[in-house]
Amino acid sequence: MKKMWLIGLNTFRESIRKKTLYIILIFALIVIGASKLFSFLTAEEELKMIKDVSFSAIEFFGALIAIFASLAAISTEIERRTIYTLLTKPIRRSDFVIGKFFGVSMIIFVNFILATAFFIGLLIFKKSPPNMDVFKTLLLIFFELILIGGITLALGTFTSDAFNIICSFFLYIVGHLTSYGKELVERTENIIVKGLADMLYTLVPNYENFNIRDKIVVGLNVSWGYVGYTIAYGILYMCVALFIALYFFEKREI
Amino acid sequence: MAIIETKQLTKHYILGKKKVVVGLENVDLEINQGEIFGILGPNGSGKTTCLKLLLGILFPTSGEANIMGKPPYDIEMKQHVGFLPENPYYYDYLNGPELLRFYASLYSMDSDKADKRIEELLELVELKDAKRLALRHYSKGMLERIGLAASLINDPEILILDEPTTGLDPIGCRDTRNLLLRLKEQGKTILLSSHFLSEVERVCDRIAIFHRGHLLATGTLDGLNKQYQAENLEDLFVKTICAFDTEFAAKTGERK
Repeated sequence: MKKMWLIGLNTFRESIRKKTLYIILIFALIVIGASKLFSFLTAEEELKMIKDVSFSAIEFFGALIAIFASLAAISTEIERRTIYTLLTKPIRRSDFVIGKFFGVSMIIFVNFILATAFFIGLLIFKKSPPNMDVFKTLLLIFFELILIGGITLALGTFTSDAFNIICSFFLYIVGHLTSYGKELVERTENIIVKGLADMLYTLVPNYENFNIRDKIVVGLNVSWGYVGYTIAYGILYMCVALFIALYFFEKREI
Repeated sequence: MAIIETKQLTKHYILGKKKVVVGLENVDLEINQGEIFGILGPNGSGKTTCLKLLLGILFPTSGEANIMGKPPYDIEMKQHVGFLPENPYYYDYLNGPELLRFYASLYSMDSDKADKRIEELLELVELKDAKRLALRHYSKGMLERIGLAASLINDPEILILDEPTTGLDPIGCRDTRNLLLRLKEQGKTILLSSHFLSEVERVCDRIAIFHRGHLLATGTLDGLNKQYQAENLEDLFVKTICAFDTEFAAKTGERK
C-alpha cells in the first residue's frame, strides 16, 4: 500500500511541477468567473445561470484534466522509459497501476477543489451560499471525473496514446448520450440496431446518471438515495476499469 | 555458485502475422557470485533483451531466467538488485537528491539511512554541486552518472548495467571502470552489457558473445582466445561473429 501511495504521490508531484494542467484549470476558472457577466438578468435568473455554467465548466474542464492526466500517467512512463527503472524496483505491476490511479485521483481532486472553491466563493459573493443540493451535484461530478480518469487509465494499459484519447472522448460523449440513444433506438424495429444499442448501453458507462445539475438548477429535489446509488454505480464501473487495467498491464511487455 | 542463471532462455518477437524476429534463442548462462560478467555483441544481438528478461520487463517465449534462484518478478529478489538501463531517462522535473530519495523509498529505506546514502552516492558520482539542478538540465554524462547512483541506492548485491559507459567522456569511463572494480572488491556481482570491447576487456572476469540472439561463446577472455586462436578480444569478437554469419548464411541458403 505504501508503494502505491509513493507512486501516486510522484504522479501528483509531476503534474504540479509540469504545470500543463494548470492551463485547463485556468480556463475553467475563467468560464466560472464569466458566468457572473449575466448581470442583465434578474437576480434569480443570474444565480441559475451562474450555477448552470459553473457546474458545466467544472464537469467539462474536469473531464479534460482527468483524461489528460490519466493519459500521461502510464503511457508517458513507457514513452520516456522511466518505467524501466521503476519496474525493476521491488514493486509489483499492480502497485504501479493502482499507484498511478491514486495519483490521477489526487490531481482530479485538487483541481476539482480549486474550481469548486472558486464557484462557492462566487455564490457567497452573490449572497446565495450553497445548499445541500449544490453539494450533491458537485459530489456526483467528482465521482464522474474519477470514473473518466479510471477508464482512460485502463485504456492506456493496452492502447496507443492516439487511440486512447479518441476512445476516452468518444466514451465521454457517448456516455452522456446513451439514455437518449436508447430511447430513440427503442422506436426502431431493426433487431441488429437494437442489439448494438443495448450492448453500447450496457458497456459504456452512463455518465448522464451523474448529471443532476439540470434538476438542481431549476430547484427540483434529488434524493440522497439516488446520489448513493449513482456513486455505487460509479465505483462498480471504476473497479471494472481497474481490473481491466491490472489484467492488461500484468501481461504487457515494455 | 551461479547467482544469475538462464536456462534455454528464448524470446521471439512477433511482428505481424507471419514475421517472427529472434530476440534470444536457447541461451544458457551462469554468472557466479562476486564476478564481473560482460555481455558483448553488435547492436541488435540480444544483449538488452537478455537483461530485460532477467528483470521481468519482457516475458520469455520459453526457458527461464533466475536471479538468486528466484524468478524475475520476485519482489524480495529485486530488493537486492540494482539496474541501470541504456540511455537512462528519469523524472526530469526532479533534481538528483529527489530522484534518489524516491527510489530509496521504493526500497522501504528509512529516511535517515536514505539521506546518508544519497550524500555518499552524490559524492561518488561527483554530482554534489548539481544538487538543486533539475534533471532536465543535466548533460548526457550527468544523466548516466545519476543513473549509476540510482542503481546503487539500495547497496545491491547484484548490479545489472546496460551499456554503462555510453555517453560518458574518457574520464567518466575511467571513473566508472574504477567504481566497478571497487564494487567487485566489496563482493558485488556485476552483469554488464557493452559493445565497447576495451572496457569489457579491462573489467570483466568472464564474457559472453551474443549475435542475432544466439550465445556464441562464453568463458574467460584467455580461455576463449585460446579456444578460438584469437590474439585479443577484438579478434575473438570478429572471428566468432564471422563464423556464425557464415554458418547462418549456409543454413538459410540450404533452406531456400
